[in-house]
Amino acid sequence: MASGPSGSANAFQPELIPGGSAAAARAGTATGISPVWGFIVRRLLLGILVLVLVSIVVFVATQALGDPARAILGRSATPASLAALREQLHLNQPVVAQYFTWAGGLLHGDAGNSLAAQEPVTKLIGDRIVNSAVLVLCAGLISIPLSVAIGSYAALRRDKTFDVATSLSTLVFAALPEFVVGVSLVVIFATTVFHLLPAVSLIPPGGRPWDNPVGLVLPTLTLVLAVTPYVARIMRASMIEVLESDYVEMARLKGLPERVVITRHALPNALGPTFQVIALNLAYLAGGIIVVEYVFNYAGIGGALRDAVSNHDLPVIQALAMLIAGLYVVLNLLADIATIMVTPKLRTRL
Amino acid sequence: MDDKATLELMHLRGQITRRQLLVGMGMLAAGLSMASVLAACGPSSATTSSSTPKRGGTFRLGVTGGGAKDMMDGQNITTKPDQARLVTAFETLLVYDEDYKLTTDGLAESVTQDAPDQWTIRVKQGIEFHDGKTLGADDVIYSLTRMLTDPKLFGNAGLGSVDVNGITKMDDRTVRLKLKGPDSTIGDQLGQYYNGIVPVGYKRYPGTQNGTGPYKLDSFTPGQQSGHSRNPNYWRSGQPYFDKVTIIDFTDPAAQVNALLGGQVDAITDIPFGQVSVVKAHSDLTVLESPGGGWLPLCMAIDLPPFTDVRVRQAFRLIADRQAIVTQVLSGHGRVANDLYSPFDACFASDLPQRHQDLAQAKSLLAAAGQANLTMDLHTTDGAAGMVDIANVFAQQAKGAGVTLNVKNDPNYYGDQYLKLAFSVDFWGTRNYLPQVANGSIPTAPYNECHWPPANSNYLSLYKQAKAEVNPTKRCQILHDMQKLEYDQGGYIIPFFNDLVDAYSSKVSGFKASKGTLNLDSFGHGFRTIWFG
Repeated sequence: MASGPSGSANAFQPELIPGGSAAAARAGTATGISPVWGFIVRRLLLGILVLVLVSIVVFVATQALGDPARAILGRSATPASLAALREQLHLNQPVVAQYFTWAGGLLHGDAGNSLAAQEPVTKLIGDRIVNSAVLVLCAGLISIPLSVAIGSYAALRRDKTFDVATSLSTLVFAALPEFVVGVSLVVIFATTVFHLLPAVSLIPPGGRPWDNPVGLVLPTLTLVLAVTPYVARIMRASMIEVLESDYVEMARLKGLPERVVITRHALPNALGPTFQVIALNLAYLAGGIIVVEYVFNYAGIGGALRDAVSNHDLPVIQALAMLIAGLYVVLNLLADIATIMVTPKLRTRL
Repeated sequence: MDDKATLELMHLRGQITRRQLLVGMGMLAAGLSMASVLAACGPSSATTSSSTPKRGGTFRLGVTGGGAKDMMDGQNITTKPDQARLVTAFETLLVYDEDYKLTTDGLAESVTQDAPDQWTIRVKQGIEFHDGKTLGADDVIYSLTRMLTDPKLFGNAGLGSVDVNGITKMDDRTVRLKLKGPDSTIGDQLGQYYNGIVPVGYKRYPGTQNGTGPYKLDSFTPGQQSGHSRNPNYWRSGQPYFDKVTIIDFTDPAAQVNALLGGQVDAITDIPFGQVSVVKAHSDLTVLESPGGGWLPLCMAIDLPPFTDVRVRQAFRLIADRQAIVTQVLSGHGRVANDLYSPFDACFASDLPQRHQDLAQAKSLLAAAGQANLTMDLHTTDGAAGMVDIANVFAQQAKGAGVTLNVKNDPNYYGDQYLKLAFSVDFWGTRNYLPQVANGSIPTAPYNECHWPPANSNYLSLYKQAKAEVNPTKRCQILHDMQKLEYDQGGYIIPFFNDLVDAYSSKVSGFKASKGTLNLDSFGHGFRTIWFG
């Protein structure tokens, strides 16, 4: 791709951006910096602001989980023992002071000590973060190309058998909650119909998920089935819109081979909106993985979060909530940048 | 901390489900009252399986209820997987058999009550810890002292009558205990699975887990799993049979069942009631249902209106349709009870007639007490499996006697109002009668919900006599009188004892249904009386 996909697309839609290119060129010349960098810096600052706001929301929300001292003591709670434990957990400090102690610790990579396990939160969830990341990565690496391929092909074969079949099946899978998909896969492949795959994914302590790849199959498949339908449908809609555009028609009229029209002109432009959906879905995976980890007894952050909530283990809940929020911010940032990169119209308006 | 409180905590923290907590009651074992001399013993009877035990293999157990709080300690547990882990490496001086009889099949050759306030323990010869050190009197003294000086250990409350300064080494294998006062229940305590014998200097994990038990600890990751390997130097000849044991935490009971169905584990604890038929449908799986002794009482405080009138208490006891409660709260996995606790105690008053629902009689008792069409609150909390269900079912039944009960489900129940309420729900595990009375039925008990006994009753003097009585027959007579008093005038409505429902793959032999202490036949007696084959 000598000229690059966006370059080609740009060449075919000058009339869509009246004055845009000129304005962008002026801005670029005036400051000496590519406007894309200014955009990225602005988005980064915004992202940090969002994280600060999120940290406040997380902190306030976890306060609403109830009194951890009472939860820890249970029936043996007496006014005296409650007071002593609150003292020990620094629950007597003003809430604002508690927030700054906590947020300050986070900046130093210190998420505090788990109330339940009495050890650093980072140690408790470190391996689990790796395990979950592996699962999300596997699901992402399979579902993104797959959904882009399905969506594009369905758009090309619009209203033909493939399109109708995938539209129907993606609609069905999009409507099914993950646990239904997961449990059904277990019934089909592990326990009742066939005995091909393990029903649960047991990662031995100190082990890594990839040590036993067969254990990753069903959880990954469940996540792929959860994510692919959305992305494929957006990709199809986006692709159909692009295929009907003037510049694709122009490319065809120019006599370019259909393969070139699609790969160089249609696909890059259709990907823009899809990036946003992919980012949202990846971020969703980080949270939605909880259900899948529960069904497959997978030792990831989902299990840790669930355990922490039932233990009223505030430091662990807060750390995981911040992690997932951070992931949302980063993925959205990346998606915005990627969208800008493939959409000259947006890039030039910066 | 009290074992009840710990189990409740486990539930509050979500480490065990409602169902598991109920089932968990059964493992907080008590036992038969001790005879003055524990001579009758003998190894636990041979397994019912016809096949000969075979060596080898890795046994994988799936357990729910674990989490970040998992621990390993020879004398303490927090979660259910901790119980399974404890019995791999640690053993007790006395042992309960599957009929809930206390035997000297444990580390002690004899445990004797020499006088009402003095006991002598003599350990067997030649038993070695994992590191090769021989078990002796010093280890017993260290173990008992550890329990008595650390209030977090279960043995701390149970062995409360032992004077920590009155533990004497008589010779290399003999220890004498002086008590603060007469106590015939010391033997019961020494048979509790959590009162394990640890070597001098022992510390909980991450300290070295050096015990006398059949398996050594290889690895342990709280919330995930622990690995154990065969102790080649184990003192019971031939045992254990597995090369390795793996104890795996499950968060979801359904995933646990799936793992068993898919062959990834060989046994699981506490099948969800709804899955029992699923497991039973598989010919290569076996459901092991054992009679447990956990109970959920409805507690009427006898010194608070309207229960100051004994007729109101009697009327309420006649409201309960116990079989319906077993069906609705336990899905049938329990036995009807008779307002008395400690069903495995040798002195359990099983001769007292079973109470049945009698709404007409209840109505007339209430009318006579001037409490017809009574309306009051019934307090409960989601603190143990079934605690809210039992309140709702009972409130429904009470309508038949013209009583309106408003069920109050309060998350702050424990701590704020507990033990101060007229009518409330609580939960208990199984204990023998006297230890249970010490925990819940006398003014000095930590959890006396019913404010028992009445001021004019001779119950307390009977209790003191019973604790000092070393003759088992005479003591049983006293215990019977005490139970009769509670049966006639007490504040507890006890509708049922629950069962333990576990399952295992049929490639495992040696499991037996035993009276409820721990799940799965006390985890196959610490994974040593079960084998593949």
